[in-house]
Amino acid sequence: MRAATFFVLASPITFSIAADSPRPRGVGPDFAKFYKDQTGFTCISAPHVKLATSRINDDFCDCPDGSDEPGTSACSHISSLSPPSTPGDVSSGNVNASLALPGYYCKNKGHQPSYLPFTNVNDGVCDYELCCDGSDEWAGLGKVKCEDKCKDIGAKWRKQDEIRQRALSAANKRRNELVTESARLRREVADRIKSLGEEIKGAELKVQGLEEDLAEIERQERTKVVKAESTGGRLGVLTGLAKARIEELKVNLVAVRGERDAGYERVKKLEDILAAFKEEYNPNFNDEGVKTAVRAWEDYAAAGRLGEPDTQIEQDLDEMTKSDEENGLNWAEYEGQQEGDVDVLYKFEEYLPAGLRDWVDKKLRDLRVMLIDNGIIAPASEQGGESQAVKDARERLNLANTELNGQRTSLDQHKEDLEKDYGPDDVFRALKGQCISKDAGEYTYELCWMEKTVQKKKRGGGDTNMGNFMRIESIEVDEDVDQDGKGLGSGVRMALKYENGLQCWNGPQRSTTVVLACAAEDEIWKIIEEEKCVYRMEVGTAAVCEPAPGEKRHVRDEL
Amino acid sequence: MRSSNGPFNWTAVFLFLSCLYTLFTPALTVKKQDFKTCDQSGFCKRNRAYSDTAISQSSSWTSPYTLDAQSIAFKGGQLTGIVLKNLPQSGENLRLPLTINFLESGLARVSIDEEKRQKGEIELRHGSKARKERYNEAEKWAIVGGQQLSKGAAVSKDSEEGTTKVLYGPASGYEAIIRHRPFVIDFKRDGETHIQFNERGLLNVEHWRPKIEKEPPKEGEENKAEEEQKIVDPAEDESTWWEETFGGNTDSKPKGPESVALDVSFPGYEHVYGVPEHTGPLSLLQTRGGEGNHDDPYRLYNSDVFEYEMDSPMTLYGAIPFMQAHRAGSTVGVLWLNAAETWIDIVKSKLSANPLSLGIKGTTTTQTHWFSEAGILDVFVFLGPTPQAISKSYGELTGYTQLPQQFAIAYHQCRWNYVTDEDVKDVDRKFDKHSIPYDVIWLDIEYTEEKKYFTWDGMTFPDPLGMQKQLDEHERKLVAIIDPHIKNTANYWVKDELVSKDLAIKNKDGNIWDGWCWPGSSYWVDCFNPAAIEWWKSLFTYDRFKGSARNLFIWNDMNEPSVFNGPETTSPKDNMHHGNWEHRDLHNINGLTFVNATYAATLQRSKSEAPQRPFILTRSFYAGSQRMGAMWTGDNQALWSHLKASLPMVLNNGVSGFPFAGADVGGFFGNPEKDLLVRWYQAGAFYPFFRAHAHIDTRRREPYLAGSPYREIITKALRLRYALLPSWYTAFREAHTEGWPIVRPNWWVHPSDPAGFALDKQMYLGSTGLLVAPVLEEGATSVDVYLADETPYYDYWDFELVKGRGMHTLDAPLEKLPLLMRAGHVFPRRDRPRRSSGLMRYDPFTLVVVLGTDAQGAEGTLYLDDGESFDYEQGAFIHRKFTYDAATQILRSEDIGEKGKKSDAYAMSMQGVRVERVIVVGAPAEWKGKEEVDVAEEGAKASAGTRKVDCVFHEASGKKAAWAVVRDPRVEIGKGWKIDFSSGARDKKEL
Repeated sequence: MRAATFFVLASPITFSIAADSPRPRGVGPDFAKFYKDQTGFTCISAPHVKLATSRINDDFCDCPDGSDEPGTSACSHISSLSPPSTPGDVSSGNVNASLALPGYYCKNKGHQPSYLPFTNVNDGVCDYELCCDGSDEWAGLGKVKCEDKCKDIGAKWRKQDEIRQRALSAANKRRNELVTESARLRREVADRIKSLGEEIKGAELKVQGLEEDLAEIERQERTKVVKAESTGGRLGVLTGLAKARIEELKVNLVAVRGERDAGYERVKKLEDILAAFKEEYNPNFNDEGVKTAVRAWEDYAAAGRLGEPDTQIEQDLDEMTKSDEENGLNWAEYEGQQEGDVDVLYKFEEYLPAGLRDWVDKKLRDLRVMLIDNGIIAPASEQGGESQAVKDARERLNLANTELNGQRTSLDQHKEDLEKDYGPDDVFRALKGQCISKDAGEYTYELCWMEKTVQKKKRGGGDTNMGNFMRIESIEVDEDVDQDGKGLGSGVRMALKYENGLQCWNGPQRSTTVVLACAAEDEIWKIIEEEKCVYRMEVGTAAVCEPAPGEKRHVRDEL
Repeated sequence: MRSSNGPFNWTAVFLFLSCLYTLFTPALTVKKQDFKTCDQSGFCKRNRAYSDTAISQSSSWTSPYTLDAQSIAFKGGQLTGIVLKNLPQSGENLRLPLTINFLESGLARVSIDEEKRQKGEIELRHGSKARKERYNEAEKWAIVGGQQLSKGAAVSKDSEEGTTKVLYGPASGYEAIIRHRPFVIDFKRDGETHIQFNERGLLNVEHWRPKIEKEPPKEGEENKAEEEQKIVDPAEDESTWWEETFGGNTDSKPKGPESVALDVSFPGYEHVYGVPEHTGPLSLLQTRGGEGNHDDPYRLYNSDVFEYEMDSPMTLYGAIPFMQAHRAGSTVGVLWLNAAETWIDIVKSKLSANPLSLGIKGTTTTQTHWFSEAGILDVFVFLGPTPQAISKSYGELTGYTQLPQQFAIAYHQCRWNYVTDEDVKDVDRKFDKHSIPYDVIWLDIEYTEEKKYFTWDGMTFPDPLGMQKQLDEHERKLVAIIDPHIKNTANYWVKDELVSKDLAIKNKDGNIWDGWCWPGSSYWVDCFNPAAIEWWKSLFTYDRFKGSARNLFIWNDMNEPSVFNGPETTSPKDNMHHGNWEHRDLHNINGLTFVNATYAATLQRSKSEAPQRPFILTRSFYAGSQRMGAMWTGDNQALWSHLKASLPMVLNNGVSGFPFAGADVGGFFGNPEKDLLVRWYQAGAFYPFFRAHAHIDTRRREPYLAGSPYREIITKALRLRYALLPSWYTAFREAHTEGWPIVRPNWWVHPSDPAGFALDKQMYLGSTGLLVAPVLEEGATSVDVYLADETPYYDYWDFELVKGRGMHTLDAPLEKLPLLMRAGHVFPRRDRPRRSSGLMRYDPFTLVVVLGTDAQGAEGTLYLDDGESFDYEQGAFIHRKFTYDAATQILRSEDIGEKGKKSDAYAMSMQGVRVERVIVVGAPAEWKGKEEVDVAEEGAKASAGTRKVDCVFHEASGKKAAWAVVRDPRVEIGKGWKIDFSSGARDKKEL
């Protein structure tokens, strides 16, 4: 009868006469020493509590640390997650009491031993994941029978483990390849930096030469006499052109202002419609079209709605469109002007004899150059046209400068790239720009190493940027590993942070944390939206496998 | 000239404004314009005007309704007669058949119909096919028992002139004194009037009349016409007789005006409770304006009220037209059995006429005025005299609360939406990983393929059975939503069958009515039709609802019905239901009929499986819905005000016969701050229905995401709920057999203490004596709790004594849920944390015995069954009463269950399940030195006799009470036993 079994098994009958007696049910080898004394038991972390050995595993919790019940669930309430069962728990400071034992020890003969949480002992469920020998349901509650499956599970695990180990060595091999490739890429960058250095030196020399050429050509060109082009004076012509141009601009300004005002009215009307729409729509109806529109409106409104026109600008514009006289601009004053100062200078030459003229000419030229060089008068080019020769020389110089700047930028980029964190051994350098993807529900998710993460709608529609790569971090995880070895496991893992993706409605800019674990193939295992628009990808890659083969391998204890 | 930094300033202003905009996005508010005020509802306005006229004419007012003395007949507990309505213009007397049933249960039922409509001697407009008689089938859905006519009821010989006196009720202690002219009824108990009908003369039955077409006003005479309109008696305002338009929808009203109204007075009663569902205080407010009062009557017209407001008489999703009036020492009530749109005005008047009449009688009278748009006038009268008696007889009448499956009273994790089956499995694993118990995970509408119920979205839920299998490994359940709107789309088998079998609701022209809901264009199944129920049953079989497993249960939402493009977001009133009833006649029952069909459909989903108790959550409800499942308070918000409002709402539902109630923990709309979330879990752990839910646009908030210390505090609240599940289940059993609320307001537990009648921020859990006062104020670190008498209470956590009638302030830092234990009670717990309630089935019990400082002793009960099947109906349960007798110092367990066919089998299956611990709170000081107790168990071998069991006594210190723990008495929970505390200290020799 089941009930009878319950009580029989509840009593500590498993002690034998052998000197090295078997451990009580549920005690792991690390804790065996606490249970050796046949005359009594002392609670492991509460040594002031001493009990008769008959109280071990009698399905009643006596020790404040639960150590008298290694094989039952009687002490499973001892936890900071449980409401205290008596004020004894409160007053003795046991509110945050913790168990002395890591759990119920499953021997799992034929497989690996492990600890099962006490809450799962004798609850009617065979917890084969941790307890393949089925010993957790020793009381057989509710007719549950957990047969020992360790032989099968162990064999399966070993087979899987073999595959995993093979995969692991493949993964390590792959990582080595990645590291080699990264090193090669790094060398390429270093080489490039070196060659860029040389190229820049050359380019600098070239620029220097071209600068000298230009100076000389300009010097020569400056001496050439610039003839007045027409009667009435060049200033007069310019004035005429300016007047016409300003008139034209004024007319157009008035027209454009008119159009702007009309546009302003329309935008304002639309904004009012949308603002009312946002207030009055019912988000509970979850109409995607409506929600998208509201979202877009909120983004738009967040950037600032249409403001009142700046009155000061408006006043300025009003002023500008008034007649020129009112603005104190009298075109007539300028239209009559005949000759400029330089013209007089040039004309003066014409009256001199040839020899003298050449001498004067030379002296004037030197004087001019001196004046220009000292910034006293402006060079010819600013006063009139520039000769083709100067233009060409300048062109050549500009080209050379552009090239030089390009090379300098490239050098900076390469230097920066060399200093950028590509992870240990620079390993992600080899993966940069490569992308992997996974289908999940109605989306395909894409991870581009060191670049960005993207969500693509399968039913069509635009891609959504889920973040751009920012940095490498490490985070603590506690996840499952499946039979194929896919999964993060427990411990500290490397994580790539992708941030500043597309703005989310009612939420932050999208971001993705890509948590990595060792695998032979680069593969996205899982995508979770942890919070609204905060994503987490669990990804396998050889890039994070333990670097040196032969060293302590990362072994997971999932089974 | 403009300053150069102008643009910068403007940008700054823009940024500032847009920041303000995001910070102070206007609080979500109800779209009031979508719902009628009394003024916008024709019959409400007319009846209020009728009442205004009556009040303004006060003494000269005479009700035109008289009972024709010649017509009165009495036979076998039933009185019949004809009430005549005198029409002053024509002098005509309209005949209104009256029936008064005096029931064996002590209830009286007063029904008034209209002869012309009854006989079909009327004409309907617009060629309507509607039934001509007034709707009289509400009882078909709401009433399940207690209809037996009283054999003892009799007309008294000493009736005064012009009255008929009927003696009825227990020991004929009740009287119904029926005055003939005008027609008034006084209901008396022990010679005292407690309820009066038509005392104010507001009885009104709007009779059928033909529409007299008026000449349209001639050009230029519109003003005159308008003036004429103005002088019309507003109670006879014809403008809303034949047609009403609201929000762009026109109601064709083919039957013309047909409202029924009655005033019901409760002389000497200051408090009235009930008529859910509304927000606001438990003790109902006056409704005719004035400081702190409502301006509009309480309305009952089931509606999908989006972002509902606090402290409002506005209608919500459900309607129970049941009201109780209470004063010290007496509780009475009325059930207004009408399913049409209903409004209730409440006024209270202080009696100043006779200041000498102070005493046990209250000095305030509550006058109520009920009016419904259509149907017969049908009222049940309850004379109490206790809240317990009222709850019991209401339950007998409308059915008791379903005894739910065990999982249904554990914790439910819901979200709109868990997006994939993998997501569901991941959440399931995460709960285990974080050692947080939960029983049920929920799927909102997104699991379907394009909102087509009975389908799964192939992309997001490719493997529903695998998902349900994983849940089942830890005895967890899945609840999926199924709503009454069926997508109107091609190639959808459910729609095709609905159409081909002709089972949908029709429009006024007799065609299938098309409205809008989640799927867009939709049809609605008409569950008033028995054939529709049969068809609905066929949809849930495993071979038809593919991907559903035995651990799948159902959520019926949107069953008011919610219609996005309908008037007041619901069905047009002139739509037609089975039997040619107009929707207006039965609107408030619509939600109940849908749940009724789903209940029938989920009893047994394949021939080969054993029937199991269905679990259905409904949003819309009516009197009787408690028989079929749970309700929740709809789409609340993540605000402290909504947390606070949830308590009176849950309490009110409890006293109104539908106690399996809860609010969305965390608030549906919006993102709760962490402290609000924690406080909500602490309060939610004391909702009978305990579910967290969140809107699709909110951030994830599963308890394990809350971060330390919030996650730990929430887990403690959840584990407390799980530890107390045996007490909860026992309370559900009481609701199932006695009709008693599961969480109880102060007035219900202490009906003689007027100071506690309006309290609605603290609740008792069943009969356990546990009194919870959750923190409902932002930032509060203490709560005030009221104690109704001098009985000692103890803090649940540290056993500190709290004693004395009046307010007490309890410390309540965030991690503490204020909870007290009342002396005189014994309640059961199961202290071992498990992953789900199903895995606690064979866990041992802890009994907590709470003793007072006097010699009163303590008692309590435990009810236990398999939590799943109907075997309990054949005795498969354990029902024990634990009694601690202070004089003998003995704690006993005795059987209070009735044996049935399956009693023994169940007892066998529970053999070995024991009591592992007895905690005695407030242990007598003389127990000092006690180290053991004597334990004896029935059925133990004689040789075993009495066993000695260890007992540890802890002395009182400061305000903390003394307590003792019996260490593992090893007595079986299903057996009789006694623990004797009277024996002395352990004999030293034994050591």
